[in-house]
Amino acid sequence: MQIASIEEKWAGAVKEVTIGATKESGGTRESVVTVGGARCIPFMDFDGDQGNRPVIAMDVYDLPPENLPEPLLKHYKDVMNDPASWAKKCAEEYGADLICLKLDGIHPDKGNRSSNDAIKTVKSILEAVSIPLIIWGCENDERDNEVMPKVSQAAAGEKCLLGVATQENYKTITAVCLADGHNLITQAPVDINIGKQVNILVTDLGFPLDRIVMFQTTGALGYGIEYCYSIHERGRVAALSGDGQMSTPVICDVGHEAWRAKEAKATDEEAPQWGSFAERGIMWETITATTLLQSGVDIIRMYHPKAVSIVKDHIDQLAMKV
Amino acid sequence: MSENKTHKIHFLPHDIYVDIEEGNTVLDAAHSANIYINSICGGDGICGKCKVVLSKGKVDAPPTTLISSEESENDYILACEAKIIEDLQILVPKETRLEGKKILLDQHEQHSLTWAAVLDKSHFTHNPLTKKLFLTMEAPTMDDNIADHERLCQAIMMDQGVELNVIQTDISILKKLPGIMRQGNWSVTVTVAHRGPVLEVVEIETGDTTQNNYGIAIDIGTTTVVTCLMELTSSKVIDSEAVYNSQMKFGEDYIQRIIYAIQNDFLNEMQKTIVSDINKTIHTLVKRHEIDLNNITSVVCAGNTAMIHFLLCLDPENIRKEPYIPTANFVSPFRATQIGIDINPRCILYALPSVSAYVGADITSGAAAIRLDKEELNCLFIDIGTNGEIVLGNKDWMVCCSASAGPAFEGSGVRHGMRAAKGAVEIIHITRDYEVSYSTIGNVKPKGICGSGLLDCIAEMLRCGIVDRSGNFQQDIKSERLRKKGDEYEFVLIEKEKSGIETDIVITQADISNLVRSKGAIYAALSILIESMGLSINDVSLLYLAGGFGNYLNVRNAITIGMLPDMPTSRIKFVGNTSLIGAKMALISKEAFETVHNIASQMTYFDLMGNPKYMEAFMSANFLPHTNLSEFPSVVEELSS
Repeated sequence: MQIASIEEKWAGAVKEVTIGATKESGGTRESVVTVGGARCIPFMDFDGDQGNRPVIAMDVYDLPPENLPEPLLKHYKDVMNDPASWAKKCAEEYGADLICLKLDGIHPDKGNRSSNDAIKTVKSILEAVSIPLIIWGCENDERDNEVMPKVSQAAAGEKCLLGVATQENYKTITAVCLADGHNLITQAPVDINIGKQVNILVTDLGFPLDRIVMFQTTGALGYGIEYCYSIHERGRVAALSGDGQMSTPVICDVGHEAWRAKEAKATDEEAPQWGSFAERGIMWETITATTLLQSGVDIIRMYHPKAVSIVKDHIDQLAMKV
Repeated sequence: MSENKTHKIHFLPHDIYVDIEEGNTVLDAAHSANIYINSICGGDGICGKCKVVLSKGKVDAPPTTLISSEESENDYILACEAKIIEDLQILVPKETRLEGKKILLDQHEQHSLTWAAVLDKSHFTHNPLTKKLFLTMEAPTMDDNIADHERLCQAIMMDQGVELNVIQTDISILKKLPGIMRQGNWSVTVTVAHRGPVLEVVEIETGDTTQNNYGIAIDIGTTTVVTCLMELTSSKVIDSEAVYNSQMKFGEDYIQRIIYAIQNDFLNEMQKTIVSDINKTIHTLVKRHEIDLNNITSVVCAGNTAMIHFLLCLDPENIRKEPYIPTANFVSPFRATQIGIDINPRCILYALPSVSAYVGADITSGAAAIRLDKEELNCLFIDIGTNGEIVLGNKDWMVCCSASAGPAFEGSGVRHGMRAAKGAVEIIHITRDYEVSYSTIGNVKPKGICGSGLLDCIAEMLRCGIVDRSGNFQQDIKSERLRKKGDEYEFVLIEKEKSGIETDIVITQADISNLVRSKGAIYAALSILIESMGLSINDVSLLYLAGGFGNYLNVRNAITIGMLPDMPTSRIKFVGNTSLIGAKMALISKEAFETVHNIASQMTYFDLMGNPKYMEAFMSANFLPHTNLSEFPSVVEELSS
């Protein structure tokens, strides 16, 4: 008896976005990262081309984060005051595909650091590591519009991924990314329509769609991951069905969100019944990441080296690379 | 306990005094003095439209953010929040007043030729609901000794070709029958009215008065009441008259009015209010044309379901409560005097039928006016008021839905929005240098912007890059017209010097958001309605757009902002106040009256409130023109060029 094929063929594909530029293409990176390109539902390789495998970006802060839980602190306390060393550690020891520099320090409430400080940090990281860089503003519109243009210019040619453009504030960052040849993150609050609308707004300014990565904001396991999952899934299905404005790769912020959960932060004394504090946060981050992988994400921002290594293994297995 | 003190309130510029008990608000005082003050929220202190100037005295008013510090210095207060504690003098400023109660009527109503053309196109034959018949009978003899009434009935039967048993006569007519028949020497004029299968003799007079037969068609809108006087011997429109619906003082939308009526046990008063508006217009018309009220033999009323309930004093409460049930959709004809309408006391009022709580007689009447029941191909009929009602169908089927579009396109909820009345800006053009040109209804100084002007405004601002597709102002444009006031950006359309009010006429960020939501609701509703019938917009051959936007509507702009689907403008027809046109047709054609009833029973109500797809469709329509650009290819092309 012949069994009918249940292969699903999709009309559309996720666009490929390349982050980072080597010497030949005007930058200083030794390697670049290309994401996107999927022509099928994640890991359903019998349906079609899976495109580029998802990558891990590890977060680095321009100023030492406060109240980092012990399991994280253990790995980062020696480098927390030096973003360049922090980045180097992530790249060389922990296997990060990209570094995500979060410029929290420029926020008026968190240090109000100057543009020059931010530029210095960016340059030091670019020197310290050879992998591509994501540069994420502080999400205070006024400060971002002031600092990000200068940071962008300082990293011109490196084809970084800069964020974020929102419906309310997209013009400045879009213009500088366009001018300096960077890629751009467009952000929406777990909303397909707004996600699409921001993409329309920035492409209206002449920004090419194949340099955009979408961010729908992230909810960790137990903290709204279902909403996030279904938005990513709907977005991916729309992209594969041929909706051009939804066809950009997707980034998610797992590390920060997972380690905000009380399940990740509570110590053994505070929650003895919840199992080992040393393992719990790692598991929380890992499960959040592996869950979202199934929904169709291309770049995962992460914190803990152990979680990173588990998730990378997981991706290898799913992508049948082992 | 001491007795409540009363205070004297002096309203300017009306120069009206009113005595009112302490503790009432200035808005209450204005109501009792029958002075109109803009109040969208019906006195809840949230709309900020009821600003008045306190020129003498003190009031007890809580602080409010709705009055700017500049206004506060000039003694502006909110009438609905200001409690009376002593004698006062209140100046009602121009923008809060309702001026010159006259509304410039739609050209369709003013131009008899146009009406004739519309009527001609409808193919309804002239056969009014009430007719005057001049009958000459043989005088009775010993051989021909049938009773007076039966003699009259036989004459009617012969004249009208009806069965004897459908003719009915009230006892009050019978009482005067012998006298009038003999006085008239067996030649009399009878007035007969259709009441379902019955033909009722409602009046009898001596001599031939058949030429003196008039009827009234009324559209009772939530905002305006339009009354049209017609000659029933022909299909001629003699004149029209419009007033604002005085119920507005109880809330600007009908849900608020229903709440007001129930909470304050005020249904009777509210009925009297609307009847008084109608009587006023009728009196104006008969006086102007020297017509005897007794010669007005019928009235046909169209209006949304709630307005018909108010008119008939039917309990409206279940309209606003799940599962949204009207007291009656079909109302049998009754004597107009029963509800206090001044026409011939024996004559009949015909209320046109509704479909549901939110699809009323304005829609059934409108659908008949455009002859949706004769369309071979699928048509879309959209009537935009406080609710946007949409009908999709053809001669074989019709489905309808109602979208709570909000009153933004009627001018409410928009800082300088106003109804399509004299002084309303109805056309706006903006150049690439951000210069604004406009025209107003009645060619007077502008006082505000009506629906068509607001629609133009959004489309033009989008074209010139003053707003982006989200409707957000682009703060980097080089124009002094764009300015920040408080926390909000606004664009000056007409400077104070050129306006007919004491301030600049502006459009604010909040106004734009309201209008975008409003158009989004309409588009979402129509797209879901089309989709739910398994059709696409390409399957719609004609789109009829009705409503009180203004005299003029730029159909292309309605597409550019994404209110109407992207289709050739040649397939879109702006048809004005179809509710009134349908009522006029019903008045002069029994066939039209029956068509409205057939349409009402044929129409299927499609509930959007319970539709899970609606919210999603609404969200994606909250963008200019739409999040799915593929639905608006011509707009994408237009904006990129």
